[in-house]
Amino acid sequence: MTQAELSELVKRSEFTPVAGLSAEDCVTLYYYMQLTRTFEMRLASFYRQGKMVGGVYLGTGNEATSVGATYTLEDRDILAPTHRDIGAHFVKGESLRAMALQLLGRAEGPTGGKDNGLHQGNKEINTLGMISHLGAMISVAAGAALASKIKKSGQVAIHFIGDGTSSIGDFHEGLNFASVMELPVVYIIENNQYAYSTPNSKQYACDWIAQRAHGFDMPGIVVDGTDVVEMYRVTKWAVERARRGEGPALIESQTMRMRGHSEHDSADYVPQKVMEKWEDKDPIDILKNYLRDWGVLTDVTREQIDEQIESEVEKAFEYALDAPVPEGPEAANGVYAR
Amino acid sequence: MRVEVVMPQMGESVAEGTIIKWHKQPGDAIEKDEILLEISTDKVDSEIPSSHEGKLAEITVEEGKTVDVGTTIAYIETEKDADIESSDNGESEKAEVAEDTAERSEEATAPANGEQIETKGRSGKDFYSPLVRSIAAKENVSQSELESIEGTGIGGRVRKQDLLGYLESRGTKPAARPTKQVQAIKYTGPMENVDVVEMDNIRKSIAKHMRTSLDTSAHVYSVSEVDMSKIVAFREKHKAEFQRKEGFKLTYTPFIADATVRALKDFPRVNASVDMDKGEVLEKRFVNLGMAVAIEDGLIVPVIKGADERSFLGLARETHRLANKARDKELDPDDVQGGTFTITNPGIFGNLYGLPIINQPQLGILGVGAIKKRPVVINDAIAIRSMMYLTLSYDHRVLDGAVGGQFLQRIVQYLEEFDGEGIL
Amino acid sequence: MAEITYIQAISEGLREEMQRDESVFLLGEDIGNYGGAFKVTKGFVEEFGEERVIDTPLAESAIFGMSIGAALQDMRPVAEMQFSDFVSTGFNQLVNNAAKIHYRWGAAVPMTVRMPTGGGVHGGPFHSQNTEAWFFHVPGLKLVAPSNPYDAKGLIKAAIRDKNPVLYFEHKYLYRREKQELSGDDFLVEIGKGRVAREGEDLTVLTYGSMVPTSLEAASHLESRIDVEVIDLRSLMPLDMELIIGSIKKTNKALIVHEDIKTGGIGAELSARITEEAFEWLDGPIRRVASIDTPVPFAPSLEEYFMPNPDKIAAGIQQLWDY
Repeated sequence: MTQAELSELVKRSEFTPVAGLSAEDCVTLYYYMQLTRTFEMRLASFYRQGKMVGGVYLGTGNEATSVGATYTLEDRDILAPTHRDIGAHFVKGESLRAMALQLLGRAEGPTGGKDNGLHQGNKEINTLGMISHLGAMISVAAGAALASKIKKSGQVAIHFIGDGTSSIGDFHEGLNFASVMELPVVYIIENNQYAYSTPNSKQYACDWIAQRAHGFDMPGIVVDGTDVVEMYRVTKWAVERARRGEGPALIESQTMRMRGHSEHDSADYVPQKVMEKWEDKDPIDILKNYLRDWGVLTDVTREQIDEQIESEVEKAFEYALDAPVPEGPEAANGVYAR
Repeated sequence: MRVEVVMPQMGESVAEGTIIKWHKQPGDAIEKDEILLEISTDKVDSEIPSSHEGKLAEITVEEGKTVDVGTTIAYIETEKDADIESSDNGESEKAEVAEDTAERSEEATAPANGEQIETKGRSGKDFYSPLVRSIAAKENVSQSELESIEGTGIGGRVRKQDLLGYLESRGTKPAARPTKQVQAIKYTGPMENVDVVEMDNIRKSIAKHMRTSLDTSAHVYSVSEVDMSKIVAFREKHKAEFQRKEGFKLTYTPFIADATVRALKDFPRVNASVDMDKGEVLEKRFVNLGMAVAIEDGLIVPVIKGADERSFLGLARETHRLANKARDKELDPDDVQGGTFTITNPGIFGNLYGLPIINQPQLGILGVGAIKKRPVVINDAIAIRSMMYLTLSYDHRVLDGAVGGQFLQRIVQYLEEFDGEGIL
Repeated sequence: MAEITYIQAISEGLREEMQRDESVFLLGEDIGNYGGAFKVTKGFVEEFGEERVIDTPLAESAIFGMSIGAALQDMRPVAEMQFSDFVSTGFNQLVNNAAKIHYRWGAAVPMTVRMPTGGGVHGGPFHSQNTEAWFFHVPGLKLVAPSNPYDAKGLIKAAIRDKNPVLYFEHKYLYRREKQELSGDDFLVEIGKGRVAREGEDLTVLTYGSMVPTSLEAASHLESRIDVEVIDLRSLMPLDMELIIGSIKKTNKALIVHEDIKTGGIGAELSARITEEAFEWLDGPIRRVASIDTPVPFAPSLEEYFMPNPDKIAAGIQQLWDY
């Protein structure tokens, strides 16, 4: 849905803007979060129906972090997402159709079937395609920010990092470099409590990963990553600061991966109690209630939006399922830029 | 130590040689470079000097026998040690490398650079490289022919250059292609009053080459007459002084050679060879002029290299030098190779003219007749002139009558317009 | 025309490209005020400022990651490895990130990595390696290895202008030994084109980098006996197969010479390619003269044994010729 279409549905008078977000902004955030959830649930059922090529890695529970943080960016800014950030891609401008084609490995998709998952980049909307070696994109995002600094273009980069990634050497190299050079880049750790099956207690010994920011001499902030408004507020602060040339920041979003590492993983290593606790903190429910309480979005209009989303997702996948797979010989093309 | 004496390769395409005479017998002492034996190949006869000082220990191939190049024909006993025996640079370098390798091979875990790589399994003589195989297939060289080629590679392997050399000597006609052999009619009469004379190598070689030439080229002939009076007069005037200055006689040969070389430069198509397989005529931009020389038991054709770059005097000197070498049987293989056109002189015995056979793979041969005084009509008056017939045999596959005729006329013109100004 | 060294040629090439194109910038350890470990970038920070001549922390992975990020924003970074040996700590960024981006999602990564390479300088196991083969196996990277000042300059400029990640192997041994007169003209050497360094008929030596002058010396020792053709590959990826195969079809014998160790080196692939494409043209086995399969030893006597030299190459030529 377009911003204008969404605005039509908003009841303005009863809402006081928070964190610089208007009622329309809040409804738009809801749209992207619900779109992400709907899209991902469709992937989960496709996986079970054998329609997917390869694994499916979902960001359920992560929607507020991806969407809220990315919503702070301008069109020209740089986004370096990770594999649980479908919402971030959407907010940055990737189309549903492109995303469906990509995840189904179709010829028309952004990688033309050459790479899987959320590995695509898009020069037009300035998203950088991630690689599976987590941590590698930390310095790549810094490099994009370095280009901005050299060109004095005022662009800011956001990069999402998982909690597991914070253990790899590239994390140190990248954050140190970005800080030494005072680059306009904001790092957001999506701390969803587990790296595959490894709990945080085995991943790091400090209380918060964000504590490490102090060692790099950059701000380190812990945020409730299930609250999109809070996520937006903190990120907005860091992005503006970076845009002013005051250097990078490290934001740790506390959230929960509500499904397995991938759809083949039942995540039974997560204690039932922990899962139940986080189920009460579903980011979409939180925003839903918030919008209802403020009277911005009635259940009726919200359901209208949900239906519209269902139909958009349906259409995107219908198209993608019918779209041709790449021709075999295409495998030989595109290794080098000409 | 005992060192081998092997049948040397006298010319790149030569595969075998015949021992004419051993100059030393077992037990004889021999100096380095002293003549050890005489051999004959289908190209030349040569005296072979000893490579070592010592005593001739054993002769393994008797006089009159023909063996492959590289075959051991004798042993010489020397007093020197093995490791300083070789004076050849390549050999000694190989020895060094081998030593180097021996050292390194002890370290089995780390293959050394520059190591000698041993070829295991089939090697040497029995192994033919992909290239040799593909050339052999293309040129219709049969397996038995391949096996007959003497290899110069390690272990006697036939290398590229060995096969190419073989093909060059074999000519463009693939030997493997079966040809209809005309059964020669042999004399079957009574043998009393018949002297049997064995043909020597050179005789056999001439026989083979003459027959091959007739089987190869489409011979046609043109004959022309030259007024040699100016040249005869010139020679008469200068011969005494020439003999005094140069030490040898001024013959007519350099005059004819000079005119022929100039005409060849005018008609490059005549100074050529042909590759029928490729459909190519190879016109040479240089003239290597063959001069047939009669020797004791036959005929040999030494070649004046770079004849087109020599002056009249240069041609005269080279002709003299080569003719002497030929008569003394001292021609090197190189002296008889690479000719692009040949002159022969049937007139030497007083005959008016002859029709020579082309010397393959050339395209023409000039036959020079005797110079005789004859009455000729000049401006409707009868005059006595020194006249000579020239015959040109040429290969009609490539040269038509027009070219052959014009070429011959050009030689006539150069001879008749001879102006001896400054040539001596 | 002035005579310049190989290392000056690299500097000139870099300087000219930085003057020509504002998107070109340098990053690496000690390259700024200090001018680089080998002084390739001496005076650059004064001319182009600290923003375009960046002294980095000691972090090879981040140096490459930063280069990739900047290249994706249409900059043309030139990253310097202080010694090519240290590339291993940034390996992942080159082989999994830079090399694969264009194939995966179509974005060009126009970055250059300068790789001071090779032995003969008594640097020991960690300052002497030839690391090209590590990357030769990686589709998406281009590899060049100049052997003389002309190619050094022409190739660094071509590498910077290329749209792909190019690893530029500059040989430390050649830095101040190779000299040449170069015109001040703006010239490029095309990546993917080799060069006939010496024409010959009898045998082809395929080589690159420091082994080009070494092989030429070996060839001249043998001049009276063997007419050796020496091909300077210049570009390792892509290889100039047309030139290589053409030469093999002429001489019918191939000796591959590289300073890198033998097993799994560029020579192994060259040998396989020649066999695949020109088997019927071979009049002997394809052989290699290379360093022995050990780490690069430190003591000069050990290093001498380890590496090819003109004598070892000449012996290799002679043996193959005799075959």
